[in-house]
Amino acid sequence: MMKPILFKWLALFTFLCPFITLAQQQVVHGNVGDQQGGLPGVSVKIKNTTRGTITDGKGDYAIKASNGEILVFSFVGYNNLEIEVDRVTINATLTHNDKQLGEVVVVALGLSRNKNELPYSAQTISGAEVNTNRNTNVLEELSGKIAGAQIKQSNDIGGSTNIVLRGPKSLSGSNQPLFVVDGVPVDNSSDLELGGTSNVTQNQRNGKGGYDYGSPGADVNPDDIASITVLKGAASTALYGSRAANGAIIITTKKGSKGLNVTLNTGVQFGSVDKSTFAKYQKEYGAGYGPYYDPNTPGSHFDYTDILGNGVKQLVVPTYDDASYGQKFDPSLLVYDWRSLDPTSPYYHKQTPWVAAKNDPSTFFVHPYTLNNSLFIDGGTDKGNYKLGYTRSDDYGILPNSSVGKNLFNFGGSYKLTDKLTAQASVNYTQTAGKGRGGTGFGGQNGEPMNLLQNFREFWQVNVDVKDLKDAYFRTQSNDNWNVKSPTDLSSAYWDNPYFVQYQNYETDSRDRFFGNVSLDYKLFSWLDILGRASEDYYNEFQEQRINVGSVVTPSSYYRLNRTYKENNYDLLLNFNKAITSDISFKGVLGLNARRQNINSISASTNGGLVIPGLFALSNSVNPIDYPVEEVDQKVVTGIFGGATFGYKDLFFLDGTLRRDQSTTLPEKNNTYYYPSIAGSFVFSSLLKDYTWLSNGKVKLNYAEVGNDALAHRINEVYDKSTNFGSEPLYYVSTVRNNADLKPERTKSFEAGLEASFLKNRLGFDFTYYKNNTINQILPVSVSTATGYSGLYVNSGNVQNKGVEVSVNGTPLKSNDFSWNINVNFAKNTNEVLALYNGVNNYQLAAYKGGVTTNATVGEAYGTLRGTDFVYVNGQKEVDATGHYVFTNNSNNNIGNANPDWTGGVYNAFRYKNFTLSFLVDFSHGGSIYDVDMVFGLWTGLYPETAGLNDLGNPKRNSLATGGGVILPGVHADGTPNTTRIDASQNQSAYGYQTAPNKAFVYDASYIKLREAALTYSVPASFVQRIGAVKAIDISLNGRNLWIIHKNIPYADPEDGLGAGSAYQGVQLGSYPNVRRYGFNLKFSF
Amino acid sequence: MKKILITLLGTIVLSSCVKKNEYLNNDTKSATTVPASALFSYAEKQLADVLATSAYNVNIFRLTAQQWTQTTAISESDYDLKLRNVPDGFWNAIYINVLRNLYEANKLTLADATLSTAQRNNQLAQINILEVYAYSVLVNTFGNIPYTQAIDYTNTTPKYDDASQIYDSLLSRLDDALSKLNANATGFNTADLLFNGVNEITSWQKFGNTVKLKLGITLADVEPDKAKTAVEAAAANALQSNADNVSFKYQTTTPNTNPLWVDQVQGHLIDYVAGATLVDLMNSLNDPRRPAYYTAIDTNSNPKAGDVLVYKGGVIGKVNTYNKYSTFSNTIAAPDLPSVLADYSEVEFDLAEAVERGYNVGGTAAGHYNNAVTASILSWGGSDADVSTYLLNPKVAYTTATGSYKLKIGNQKYIALYNRGYEAWTEIRRLGLVLPLPPNQTSYLNRFTYPITEQNVNQANYSQAAAAIGGDNIATKLFWDKN
Repeated sequence: MMKPILFKWLALFTFLCPFITLAQQQVVHGNVGDQQGGLPGVSVKIKNTTRGTITDGKGDYAIKASNGEILVFSFVGYNNLEIEVDRVTINATLTHNDKQLGEVVVVALGLSRNKNELPYSAQTISGAEVNTNRNTNVLEELSGKIAGAQIKQSNDIGGSTNIVLRGPKSLSGSNQPLFVVDGVPVDNSSDLELGGTSNVTQNQRNGKGGYDYGSPGADVNPDDIASITVLKGAASTALYGSRAANGAIIITTKKGSKGLNVTLNTGVQFGSVDKSTFAKYQKEYGAGYGPYYDPNTPGSHFDYTDILGNGVKQLVVPTYDDASYGQKFDPSLLVYDWRSLDPTSPYYHKQTPWVAAKNDPSTFFVHPYTLNNSLFIDGGTDKGNYKLGYTRSDDYGILPNSSVGKNLFNFGGSYKLTDKLTAQASVNYTQTAGKGRGGTGFGGQNGEPMNLLQNFREFWQVNVDVKDLKDAYFRTQSNDNWNVKSPTDLSSAYWDNPYFVQYQNYETDSRDRFFGNVSLDYKLFSWLDILGRASEDYYNEFQEQRINVGSVVTPSSYYRLNRTYKENNYDLLLNFNKAITSDISFKGVLGLNARRQNINSISASTNGGLVIPGLFALSNSVNPIDYPVEEVDQKVVTGIFGGATFGYKDLFFLDGTLRRDQSTTLPEKNNTYYYPSIAGSFVFSSLLKDYTWLSNGKVKLNYAEVGNDALAHRINEVYDKSTNFGSEPLYYVSTVRNNADLKPERTKSFEAGLEASFLKNRLGFDFTYYKNNTINQILPVSVSTATGYSGLYVNSGNVQNKGVEVSVNGTPLKSNDFSWNINVNFAKNTNEVLALYNGVNNYQLAAYKGGVTTNATVGEAYGTLRGTDFVYVNGQKEVDATGHYVFTNNSNNNIGNANPDWTGGVYNAFRYKNFTLSFLVDFSHGGSIYDVDMVFGLWTGLYPETAGLNDLGNPKRNSLATGGGVILPGVHADGTPNTTRIDASQNQSAYGYQTAPNKAFVYDASYIKLREAALTYSVPASFVQRIGAVKAIDISLNGRNLWIIHKNIPYADPEDGLGAGSAYQGVQLGSYPNVRRYGFNLKFSF
Repeated sequence: MKKILITLLGTIVLSSCVKKNEYLNNDTKSATTVPASALFSYAEKQLADVLATSAYNVNIFRLTAQQWTQTTAISESDYDLKLRNVPDGFWNAIYINVLRNLYEANKLTLADATLSTAQRNNQLAQINILEVYAYSVLVNTFGNIPYTQAIDYTNTTPKYDDASQIYDSLLSRLDDALSKLNANATGFNTADLLFNGVNEITSWQKFGNTVKLKLGITLADVEPDKAKTAVEAAAANALQSNADNVSFKYQTTTPNTNPLWVDQVQGHLIDYVAGATLVDLMNSLNDPRRPAYYTAIDTNSNPKAGDVLVYKGGVIGKVNTYNKYSTFSNTIAAPDLPSVLADYSEVEFDLAEAVERGYNVGGTAAGHYNNAVTASILSWGGSDADVSTYLLNPKVAYTTATGSYKLKIGNQKYIALYNRGYEAWTEIRRLGLVLPLPPNQTSYLNRFTYPITEQNVNQANYSQAAAAIGGDNIATKLFWDKN
């Protein structure tokens, strides 16, 4: 079959030959890729000549060729492709080399393996898939593209991204996978994880105030990524030892290719708040909690005071009350509101009509935008290659005065010192500077920052116009505010002017980070390489928080934290690759790893307030400052490991690894531990060569055990210090007890899978079933506090995750001009807590307002929400004789679970000539959210549910006597339907937490989102050629979080969480709206 | 070449290996040994704090005693304990912050070989008296609580003990502690932040006997014999005058100020106003302590200088406008306002009650009553003239005031226990005062429900305790509450 084709080509070639040699040479360029996107390093040769090049990091190439010449594209693992030159832009899509070598996948420790050999699942996505959208946070770009990855992103600027692979395994840990860049671990611990068990972070975990400083993994430059491989199971990560029990995300950065290649990207993105994810306000009733004010005013809804000093009483809006259960709006009713109390306001001492605000809090948000420019230069010779990159990005958030800017410098190079010795280095330096990040959770207490979203969603007066607040702040730069205590005391009662918060009480933070490695690779024999590698990940963080004089939060304060994080890894690897017989192949690795980690922080804060307003320095403290808090965490882990892969006739593969770790954070008697893994695969398609429709088929089976050590300082008891009382020192016992008998944690993991592709790889799927059990977890098990402790560190529990992952990819249509690729991911994970500590059947993870807790309960899934529930009669909610809901006295009813039932994504890419259109829809089904914003927002009468008409067609908020009120749906104890109308005119009546159990505020977290879309146009070469040195220009329009196609939670984005870390899932409090992003990017290749 | 390379890399890797594991895992910034006195001082401050604070997720007793009420966030005045997990906050503060550290201080004191036997015994007695005090607060708040199995991390699910049996144990521990106190030696000396080393041991003898008197009188309605024995034994040895009052003296600078000041004054809160129940009672008696308790306000329809200022309290359990009601006075707003653990006035009220109950404590009911009222007025800055005028008021004078002895003593004790919300709440229940109910309630708050954490992590014992006391709800009466 090959021969006729070859003959035809040869004949054609021979025929054309005379013309070709006469033809004018021109620069032909294009992009070479596979179904996943651009392929770097593909050889592009002109047939029967010595002329050739290879594709750059993005799969682009340029070569001089004449019309009629034949371009031959070849790359290991792919079928050669020949295309005749008849135009200047020639894009090529390579197909996998059927039944031969599979694609090369980078696995643990930076080793590469052919995909066919892999006896465990590893999903790879190309750099193009994460950098087309020009998102400054690479972590978010994984969303929907990896089967079995649950990704939750925070909507606040620079907020953290929570990634969980194959379900939460650790009861108290972060559950986030290990991040590895070019074989070297890079820290992705959130601020909260580094903060450990300090009170501040514990409080934030329980929904109290703080800032979300984001995920340090976002320091990786998306433009520098060649590919990302996600290793989900323990068998694939066992060689990493202690730290990859939650899986690993292996990032390979770009390598230089031959010649000199310059790529310039310049992009801009604009954003807008998705209104469906922000509060909607009723516009019928204004300030107040109900008819509690002066009886001589309309509806008893106003104060009646002489504010002008003329002896006449006036209607004054109750500015101090942060609710909207007041008087019905009426433009003919003239009142004195907060503006008339502010001497600097044009409305000072003036009456204004009683109407709803024109500009509600959604107008507080500014249009966010991002500028993102990068320059990459790479090149290479036979001896070596290099790449050099610089990216500058500036994100401006939806809150005024908020931004996150990044400078990312990347350098990488390798050089063949001799035929046998190669030196390689990679150096990355990143700077991140944040300002004005939004507060999280229930802030404003104990010096915590305010969360404006909590203000807007829970406590607001719908008569207050945000435009007026803006004018008021910029008039005086002070806290001139709607929420003043009284006409004679203009200090704020509960909330500041939101502009004052963003311009005076903003935080700033910076992280300067260096990570990189140097290595020497010596080819001792043709079958043995020795690799020595030293790496460092070092960063310096500086966080400052401010509360200026004049704020609601008192005393004013300045807090600063300096933290350095440092991790060094030293690796010595022996790589074997030798065929034992002609049928049996062998690849092996033997290695040593030494890891040192050091986290060092100091924080301090003013005491008793600031002396001089606006001077944020520790020395500007009213009282002498308290002791700074110092923390030093050190950890050393030494590992020895080995692994071997045997192949038989490309038919059977057997892989085994063993690692021994020794960690300083465990007691000496238990500090050495082993992880084994064994895996096998059977490439059945090798036996079925006659079935040409079957391109590839493989079954895989593996079992592995990995483990984990403890955090630093979990063994010995220490005492904590409190400020001296006069000259008497005060010490106390730590509230969480350590344990001198800790053992390493262990995850036992079983995985079975089937991979196959058909019709020359036009259709393929990968199916995986897994089951893993995490046992002996080291966790601060929450115990009865009557023990004197809030928790004890123990080895505890058995958490089981089992599930399936399916990914399907296909190329339903393909021709020279048009192609359609589709990729579908689906995953279902079932989580169950099988055992906890010593007969304890519940572990409380976090406690929120209203008595709701997140729990791990034996026999239930991790992340069960508990609280008060309705009482049900035949499945209907019971209502008492007064028409109100009856609810349980106890708060340990199961009212929901944070885990989704299943998740997935569908990715489509269409290519027509020079246009490429791609989009991703991702979805998550099931799971619950306890929405504290609704708990209070209904109670304060902000939302439309609390106003409007009742079943009789009368205003709900009318008195019962005038036909108002509502009938709550439900039945009496005897099963008869409720017919009793109850008052709905004030805060304690029909809506909100006082009249409904916690369960009433638990919503389904499902969603379907159009996550991203991109349209790219490669400018025709005929045009590009006119611009001197430019080889190619790509213009792209891109968008992210464009459309929430379906969701069930009102007024909020079901994905928004309190921050990274598992205990935060399943609750929203002061949640940030989703931001739609639309971008434009220009890419020039030189 | 290759040998050099291997040697070099091998050296890098192996030199990083760990020789001494423990060294690297030591928390180099925290203490591993501390003096017992530092834990004792801490526990004293924590006990004072939890009784003094007005943080509504810890101590809401000023609200349940209706000394204060809330403005807009009225959940606690309305007995909603779940919104802010109040029982968890109060329970944790005592078990974790107070009792855990007293236990540790006890352990270290026993092990301290440098102490003389007399000093060690004094210190152990001081620790024990404070432990008894702290447990009594928990029992009087919740009913049955973990006691015999408490403060033991090896038992993560401690059982709950019967409240009356805990009382028996507390009384015998108190007797043991009192018998150990030896005035010829010191105890914790200046590290004892209640007395700062001044007349240390005699002060602790009086304090211990006062605690015994309080425990004894609390049992009066349920175990009269035990009550009589304890009260009679303690009566003569309890506090003798206001000079003996036991309080924790705060400083004027943060963080060692009174937590009430931190929350209310430094925090500029407008969450609380005076409660009508106490204000109305004091107004009806023309009580001279009002200026020390509350601010006076102008309620005229057109306020102007020279108006007569009045004391007005907000409606219990309803939304109240901050500006329209009295709030706490400048006296209460002082950063160094002491947190009172026991005072002479309550001793005299207890003795008045003891006489009425036929206990042999000397004196007359009216005499003790007058002493109590006098001590209270003077301690709040009132004059002798204020006292005599007040005691002549027929609604105050013991012989002419209306109601049973419980009501007469109860009303005055209720007034005297201002700003000691927990004590006031306990006496309201114990003496059977009837306070108005918040609009959504059908029962007074007779106890705190158990912490939600206990439902989740100590469920079996929780359920047993809930059943044993007659249901884990706020209407359930404590074992000593027979009103």
